Amino acid sequence: MKTSHRARFEVILILLSLYFIIPFYWLLQSTTKDIGQLMQGTFVPGVPNHFIDNLVGVFTYNRGVFIHWLINSFLYSGVGSFVGTFFAAMAGFAFRRYRFFGRKFLFILILGFALVPQFATALPLFIEFKNFHILNTSWAFIVPSVLNIFGVYLMVVYWNQVPEELFDAAMIDGARETTIFLRIGFPTILPGVTTVLLISFVAIWNNYFLALIMLNTYKVFPLILGITRISSSSGWPVYNLTVMGAFLTAFPLLILFITLQRFLAPQLTGAVK
Amino acid sequence: MRRFQTLRGYLFLLPFLVFFIIVTVYPVIYGGYLSLFGQHGARMWFVGLSNYKSVFTDLLFWKGFGIPLFLLFVQVPGMIVIAIFIGLLYERVRHSMVYRLIFYLPYAVPGVVAGIIWSYIFSKSMSPLVALWKLFGATDPEFITLTSVRWILLIIILWEWTGFTSLIIYSTLVSIPKEYAEAAEMDGATWLQVSYFIKIPLLRNTVFVLFIFNIFGAMQVFNEPMMLAVLLTNMPPNFTPAMYIYNQAFAYGAFTYSIAMGLVLAAVIFVVSFFFMRQSMKELDIHA
Repeated sequence: MKTSHRARFEVILILLSLYFIIPFYWLLQSTTKDIGQLMQGTFVPGVPNHFIDNLVGVFTYNRGVFIHWLINSFLYSGVGSFVGTFFAAMAGFAFRRYRFFGRKFLFILILGFALVPQFATALPLFIEFKNFHILNTSWAFIVPSVLNIFGVYLMVVYWNQVPEELFDAAMIDGARETTIFLRIGFPTILPGVTTVLLISFVAIWNNYFLALIMLNTYKVFPLILGITRISSSSGWPVYNLTVMGAFLTAFPLLILFITLQRFLAPQLTGAVK
Repeated sequence: MRRFQTLRGYLFLLPFLVFFIIVTVYPVIYGGYLSLFGQHGARMWFVGLSNYKSVFTDLLFWKGFGIPLFLLFVQVPGMIVIAIFIGLLYERVRHSMVYRLIFYLPYAVPGVVAGIIWSYIFSKSMSPLVALWKLFGATDPEFITLTSVRWILLIIILWEWTGFTSLIIYSTLVSIPKEYAEAAEMDGATWLQVSYFIKIPLLRNTVFVLFIFNIFGAMQVFNEPMMLAVLLTNMPPNFTPAMYIYNQAFAYGAFTYSIAMGLVLAAVIFVVSFFFMRQSMKELDIHA
């Protein structure tokens, strides 16, 4: 193709890159500023660099509640994604392996409910949890997070790729069903399991709406909710601490995405043909 | 043998099923039941379909759809077109990998964080754009206003999702056999012609799925407007339907009313996507 075309395209992509990168850069250089410097609206890191001060400020905010948020985020996302993915793998296995009564109906039902938006379920769920007195506890957040309908769909796809011979061979060797699932099938679909695990981890980490509805006490907040509540006594946000909190909330995910690309975005570093 | 299958099947299905019922099935049914009640504080009394009548005549609720519709007609097609263009460029440019990673990264940022970053970037007090504006002689610019906030929302959402979308399109493009394009090029077709007549039609299925997911997202948009509301203090409570539902429940305490609203919103989303699915299936000749 003409070189002039290619050059034009490079320019377009470079300009677009600015659009996508500038907010990251702005975030990073903002974490080095105290409130006064932030109000100056410059585009370079603060000259007396306040990164450490902001870090300390965030962790000492409100008697150290930030560390609770951090632990909660990891706890909720970890438990929710591991348990949820395991249950989804079991469900996918069930659909793959057994022709049980109501199988087709259940599958369509489950996928159908995936279309129901969070808004229709969250409010009744709130009242349901209120009646069971688990509102405003970690359980109120973890239990809904474990549910992973899309994960079940993906698991069915992955399990369907496992050849029947694998199961037959295992059965001939006298393996019990649970052994077939755990020791033989599960390792085979491990890449798929990892993908579902990572996707659900990220989704739970980012779930603002659920946290907003279910949780009221600062100590049980995950990061995603906590950082929106960093405020001074006047009620306005403490801008530099919020910026630092936002950075710390996004940072683990960015690391996750960059290092585990091949599970989350397979075509990212695949070679161009 | 069949009974063996059924027992085993349900055994493995059980953990998921339990959560599925607790978290999704029961709330929907229970919600439907609750929506038939009027409510004040802890008191509830049966009102039949009265809540739904109120929802359908609630101007604030329906006005709130302005934003999702704006996104639906501007952001969704716009983003998909741009993403297709970018996906095609990915194939043609050196250092494609670098661009793909850069464009994709915003997807890794939580919506709340993106909302915070962009609202601060456009804020009156902290914006680096203020200095730029003053260079051109304007005084004391205010970027986030009631009229401009939908465009800021557009900027944020495009920022978050375009890279991800372009990567999905790129994945589909890459699976198109090279021979199609090569044969056309040998017959003298330009890049533009190859793209338009060969590649884009083959993207139809992917674009279709992308549209559906984007419709869902646009109709329920919540996180980013909530962050913008921190800086735009006069943002109305019905800015988006989702926000209005939330505010009715937690700011005004009208729980059963907002539950009814939530179900209506779900129905609207279903109708809109169903309508779109039927339209596309007619035009694109996809067999369900």
